[in-house]
Amino acid sequence: MDVFGSFALLLAFVCAVYAFVGGIAAIKTRHPLLVKSTRQAGIATCVLVFLGTVSLEYLLFTDNFSVAYVVSHSNRDLSTFYKVAALWSGQEGSLLFWSCLLSVYVISVLIAYRNKNGELMPYVGVVLAGVQIFFLTLNNFVESPFKTLAAVNVSGVMAPFVRMDGNGLNPLLQYPEMVIHPPNLYSGYTGFTIPFAFALAALLARYPGEKWIHLTRKWTMIAWCFQSLGILLGAHWAYAVLGWGGYWGWDPVENASLLPWLTGTAFLHSVMMQEKRGMMKVWNVWLVFSTFLLCILGTFLTRSGVVSSVHAFANSQIGPWFVGFMAIILVVCFAAYIKNRDYLASENHLDSLVSRESSFLFNNLLFLVACLAVLSGTLFPVFSEWFSGSRISVGAPFFNKIMIPIGLAILFLTGVGPLLAWRKTSPDSMKRNFGWPLMIGIVGTVIFYLLGYRAAWSLVCLYLCVFVAATIFMEFYRGGKVISARSGMNIIMGMHELAMRNTRRYGGYVIHFGMVLIFVGLAGAAFNKDVLKSMNMGDSMQIGPYTLVLQSADATAEKNYTAQRMIIEVLKNNKQMMLLYPEKRRFQGDNQESGTMVSIYSSLREDLYVVYSGQDPDTNMPVVHAYLNPLVKWIWLGGCIVVFGTLLALAPNRRAAIALSAVPEPAPSPVVPALNPSVTLGEGHD
Amino acid sequence: MTRSKLANGRASGFLTAQIHDMRPKPRRLFFLALILSLAIVPLVAVNLHAYSDQAKQIGMHLKCMCRGCDMSAGGCSHPGGAFSGPCETAKGMLNDVDAHLAKGETQEQIIQAFVNQYGAIVYVEPPKRGFGMVAWVMPFFYAILGIALVAFIIKKWLKPRPIVTSGSGPTISNESLDRLRAQAARDTED
Repeated sequence: MDVFGSFALLLAFVCAVYAFVGGIAAIKTRHPLLVKSTRQAGIATCVLVFLGTVSLEYLLFTDNFSVAYVVSHSNRDLSTFYKVAALWSGQEGSLLFWSCLLSVYVISVLIAYRNKNGELMPYVGVVLAGVQIFFLTLNNFVESPFKTLAAVNVSGVMAPFVRMDGNGLNPLLQYPEMVIHPPNLYSGYTGFTIPFAFALAALLARYPGEKWIHLTRKWTMIAWCFQSLGILLGAHWAYAVLGWGGYWGWDPVENASLLPWLTGTAFLHSVMMQEKRGMMKVWNVWLVFSTFLLCILGTFLTRSGVVSSVHAFANSQIGPWFVGFMAIILVVCFAAYIKNRDYLASENHLDSLVSRESSFLFNNLLFLVACLAVLSGTLFPVFSEWFSGSRISVGAPFFNKIMIPIGLAILFLTGVGPLLAWRKTSPDSMKRNFGWPLMIGIVGTVIFYLLGYRAAWSLVCLYLCVFVAATIFMEFYRGGKVISARSGMNIIMGMHELAMRNTRRYGGYVIHFGMVLIFVGLAGAAFNKDVLKSMNMGDSMQIGPYTLVLQSADATAEKNYTAQRMIIEVLKNNKQMMLLYPEKRRFQGDNQESGTMVSIYSSLREDLYVVYSGQDPDTNMPVVHAYLNPLVKWIWLGGCIVVFGTLLALAPNRRAAIALSAVPEPAPSPVVPALNPSVTLGEGHD
Repeated sequence: MTRSKLANGRASGFLTAQIHDMRPKPRRLFFLALILSLAIVPLVAVNLHAYSDQAKQIGMHLKCMCRGCDMSAGGCSHPGGAFSGPCETAKGMLNDVDAHLAKGETQEQIIQAFVNQYGAIVYVEPPKRGFGMVAWVMPFFYAILGIALVAFIIKKWLKPRPIVTSGSGPTISNESLDRLRAQAARDTED
């Protein structure tokens, strides 16, 4: 099967090269057969990559320990569930998985638009094939996942060698979320290839109008949704598994995933300027280019060993390939822009400073500053080594100090921007739109203050959260009320109808509301507490209102690990509440690594987060680390709402049917046609 | 799952009811679990902290130099380690901090002592002097540059357009009219 996989990947490479070279020829010659054959080659590339991926998965499932990758990332005792995850747990497999996900997007695009946009699609096919060639080069010639083991035998000849068992999967990855977090994140990274391909293709082809934006909107949103979900699942994994009490540590790999998300989010906003007003064309094209480049940069940072990170892949020689690829992309993008920049000429005119347009400008400014701040902070250790000779670390406190004000400014605009009118907003409209939310925000802040949330930044954040939530609710309420008055349905159904008639707009509001909840959760971080204690059986510790009593301990042995488990009784105000079971696992395999299973009692107010740290190396006593993390649950809740909002925004608009009241039959007239009993309005804008 | 109940402390009835799945499993695994769990029976209760709270606070400004966790010495929980708490390196650093404190040194002096020992990599956040200052200045630089750019764009876009007047009535073409209607529709949609 390893030979089959290698051969499939090699053939995929050949097909991708044909799709690329033949595609360029097809653009030049406009020969229909050539256009068709290159498209088919593109589809064949995707199918072959898929076969290659299935081959590796088959080798993992069948414990084929003649293949180096299987030996390094799996073992016989690994459950089938985690053998799936072993595919992306190592450098070679994850690069193949990247190619596979990219192929899913590429084949979807090639098939979906096979009979449409004939002028544009050959260019799109060439760009996509170019990206595939790069990753297939890595899969075939640099980091092949199908390398087999060999050893010198007794007669001194190199011969194939089969290990009895493998090293096993990194224990930190043996957690259900790790089976879904990387595919989501990779789907985000690879998904941004589609808007990039369309943007570059439109620029190269001088494709008229904003059609490329309409074509790629859904793809961009899908990629953005996966990226958001991937980031949140990663945060939840870090929270629930690593046992350090936090969910975001500003680790370079985390930052790498945030960078394209920031520019992608900026793009999803600024694209509306182009759709509505024909403005910011150059900006949008470069935002898409930057987002794709940041995706590549992100994977470069993860894999090259340029920055140190706890969850980066092992160092390899892959870095220069990525640098070269980024350089090529940059040169191509610049060349295309210089050659065709007149095509991007916009009719830029602003009627008022207080308008939706200017709010988008500031929104983009903030996202970009956030992106650059995170990027320069992440790369600063490297730069400091280059320029000053000593590596200066940049850790979480730096990023927190820098990003909190930027995040709050973005949150403020989340509330203000959508309520400003296009072109110009009158003072009356501002008073009408913001009066109540400002008041409700103040009331909400007072309540939070009385509840004990008294740190300055957190209070500002909570005020803005209430303010933004109020603006969103008022938008739904007003619209729902109008529909309710017209149709007679109740206000809740009216709001539902409103959202379904303009899914993009109201889906956007739902996403904003999800972000508000995430910010509520982030605001709680200022009030985190923790206690670390060596405990005897029967000992207790106090954290906030909770008393934790170590009741007993037990042990368990599974196929792949052994575990020690503490049984901790939780009391609140001397009343028994529950038992928590934090666990420490020791995994089999060559590395004998350890992992924690955190036990969390989660409520909307706070998380009681209990870690069994293991035995104190000095005393052999069990050590329990308890954290009290307020409001964390709001982050996961907000994440779910963000995903729901994205799905809503992707849904097609419902056609609005306004029933007219019955009117007497008009006298027959040759000029005025009779009215239909109902008037069906056209689809709203998306 | 083979779960052997070991240290029974103050186990109550409802507690034992929570321990379920007592199905027999291979003997090898049971003994492995037994041996592992025997090790967790405590002998004497001692305080985990061999270092002061002040040392922990100062340790929050120093990176744990174990090169395995990327956390601060004060906040080290060494994910993935056999012990998910402060690792030996972090504890050693915190004990060193205590030793410096005992000499009456200030926080700045202590951090500087660690920088002398490990280099600038021991900082958790860049120092606000020397080349480290660049890291702090950059975000402000981006913000100022961005604001200047946005101000420039807004100024440019806000320029009033020349008003074209026609003395002989409306001469607007049907195509232009359609375009303007479409524009008006877009402007009033959202």
